Amino acid sequence: MYYLEINHLRKSFGDLEVLSDISLTLEQGKVLAIIGPSGSGKSTLLRCATYLERMDGGDLTYLGEKAVNMDEKGNSVYAKPAKLKEIQQNFGLVFQNFNLFPHFSVIKNIMHPLIKVQKKSKEEAKEIARKLLEKMGLSEKENSYPYQLSGGQQQRVSIARALALNPKVLFFDEPTSALDPELTGEILKVIRELASEHMTMVIVTHEMNFAKNVADYVIFMDKGVIVEEGSPDQIFTSDNPRTKEFLGKFD
Amino acid sequence: MNFETMISQMTGGMTETIGIFAWTLVFSLPFGLLIAFGRMSKYKWLSTIVKLYISIMRGTPLMLQLLVVFFGPYYLFRISMGGSWRFISIIIGFTLNYGAYFAEIFRSGIESMPIGQYEAAKLLGYSRIQTFFMIIFPQVIKRILPAMANEIITLVKDTSLAFSIAYMEMFTIAKQIAAANTTFVPFVIAAVFYYVFNLLVAGVIGLMEKKLNYYH
Amino acid sequence: MCVAVVGAMIPMGVLAEERTTFRVGFDAEYPPYGYMDENGEYVGFDLDLAQAVCDLQGWELVKVPINWDSKDMELNSGSIDCIWSGFTINGREDDYTWSVPYVDNSQVVVVSKASGIETLEDLSGKRVGVQAASAALQVLQDEEQQKDLADTFATLQEFGDYNSAFVELQAGSIDAIAMDVGVANYQLTNRDNGDDFMVLEESLNSEQYGIGFRLGDTELCDQVNAALEQLVEDGTVAELAEKYDLSDMVCLDEQFGEATTAEAAE
Repeated sequence: MYYLEINHLRKSFGDLEVLSDISLTLEQGKVLAIIGPSGSGKSTLLRCATYLERMDGGDLTYLGEKAVNMDEKGNSVYAKPAKLKEIQQNFGLVFQNFNLFPHFSVIKNIMHPLIKVQKKSKEEAKEIARKLLEKMGLSEKENSYPYQLSGGQQQRVSIARALALNPKVLFFDEPTSALDPELTGEILKVIRELASEHMTMVIVTHEMNFAKNVADYVIFMDKGVIVEEGSPDQIFTSDNPRTKEFLGKFD
Repeated sequence: MNFETMISQMTGGMTETIGIFAWTLVFSLPFGLLIAFGRMSKYKWLSTIVKLYISIMRGTPLMLQLLVVFFGPYYLFRISMGGSWRFISIIIGFTLNYGAYFAEIFRSGIESMPIGQYEAAKLLGYSRIQTFFMIIFPQVIKRILPAMANEIITLVKDTSLAFSIAYMEMFTIAKQIAAANTTFVPFVIAAVFYYVFNLLVAGVIGLMEKKLNYYH
Repeated sequence: MCVAVVGAMIPMGVLAEERTTFRVGFDAEYPPYGYMDENGEYVGFDLDLAQAVCDLQGWELVKVPINWDSKDMELNSGSIDCIWSGFTINGREDDYTWSVPYVDNSQVVVVSKASGIETLEDLSGKRVGVQAASAALQVLQDEEQQKDLADTFATLQEFGDYNSAFVELQAGSIDAIAMDVGVANYQLTNRDNGDDFMVLEESLNSEQYGIGFRLGDTELCDQVNAALEQLVEDGTVAELAEKYDLSDMVCLDEQFGEATTAEAAE
């Protein structure tokens, strides 16, 4: 059983088709990196997979549960809201801009969804939050507010917040793009740690070295289609001219 | 008539003025929020109606609206209203009018919220109602407080418009005392009262702003 | 609040069957006919007389201060039963069901003694103030009354209340104020600087005050008229007229004069 399965995903904004016929699968404990130039549709793919954008065509399955079905014409048919909500518990998303709740303290950012959404007790939520903050090296910041933290620290809180809900699949949407270069390292380190713990992850990233070292599988997208996919070795030594041209910009 | 007598006569009116102020806030704030939702509705017909409503409420004098509410039941339905209607119609009139102003403030505050806050809440599994009242609205309050303060201070002064349907609030009584005693002293008292009232209101809002200053 | 709304919606018409209350609409800024006294009570010649009528008829008097500009809406919508507030009949004869006239009033002109204005003719080229929606304004706008005179004024300025008007008069931004004689007397007696002003001997018109009821409400009007007649006979009216310094003007005994004389002759 795949943890994540997408078949024939199509998505248009008005007349502009931004994703055409995207299919991918992800097994438990694997890390998938999606790379490609800006506007290639990789973020939209992530947003479709996390319900933030509505798919036009194709299906979407988490752990064998169909969130989105396909009709005979290939158009997407969404499951009932209750079902979608149930399936949603399987995944989390770390945003490029963190999107922490500024009016909550660091620890409340993590505890609040546990209490209000997962109906955990305050004590239990606090325990979970503290454990994660410790893991992120932010124990001393639990009573700080997001504005008092550096970008890297904020992103680590947002990763802790997502992890607290115990997702089966964790998505990262360019998690280091909003950070100063000297701060990207601390985030990549956290993700690397998660990978070593066999967290199932999908990472949209511009950090090519990181993708090469951490990912089990790499998808290269351009202009809304998957140009090439395979192991990091395959992709980073590819003969495909488009892949080579793209990767060449990073050398 | 000596000064003490004037003050004591005006005290009853001050209670009425504070009553109009307080009841208007109690009803117009939630009503304004409701109107703001209507204004932002994805149903075109609803947002158009609400837009028209806001434009009428903001584009016509409050005094006229008070007259319409107070006399409306008779002229529209031939129903004569009893004693407490004078006060009730004032609260309705003020609520309808201030609700429209508050709605626009709420709307600008809500629309200024970054979409990322909604998306993060959605991904974390908050329901739409939870998202609004736990994540969005508390931040909106901080953003709109300065604009709210302006409107609320205006409301303090606007309570005097209740004179148009002869409600015995402080300013109406001040006018009557002034007429009976051929003096302007009641107006000076009224001015001081409004000023002190507004100082208090500004003070309370200042405290709220300070309290919300714990984050940026 | 909902309970209060429902409570407020009982139609007034129901009460009319067996009258228990008598709701008098009045301008609370119109001494000596209706105003607020030292104790915060509404008093005045009109209100005291209305109280006497209610005592006779066994009604409860409800004094409803109204905004003068909305008096017709107040009356028609039933929130008051009559307008009793130094209310001039002349020019409004057909608009209300009128009681017998109870005060002979005139519209006069108040000027500053120092101004040198002594006759209505002297007002030519002067700035004259008058209260908005007042009987005096009506007289000055009526072609059959004093419109010709008003046309000789430099301006005819409307104002809201007498305090402001007198301040303007004192400051010289207006030269004269047209108003009811009763009001003029009250103002000149009660103002600190009342001696600086005088009433021109020549008046603009003479007119009468009455109680205005809803057009066609003759039943109530008759009841009040009957009570007034009784109050003339027992001397209450004369007493009140004296109390408010209006003895020269109250004309009720003339209205019922024949009846009283006839009774006396028996």
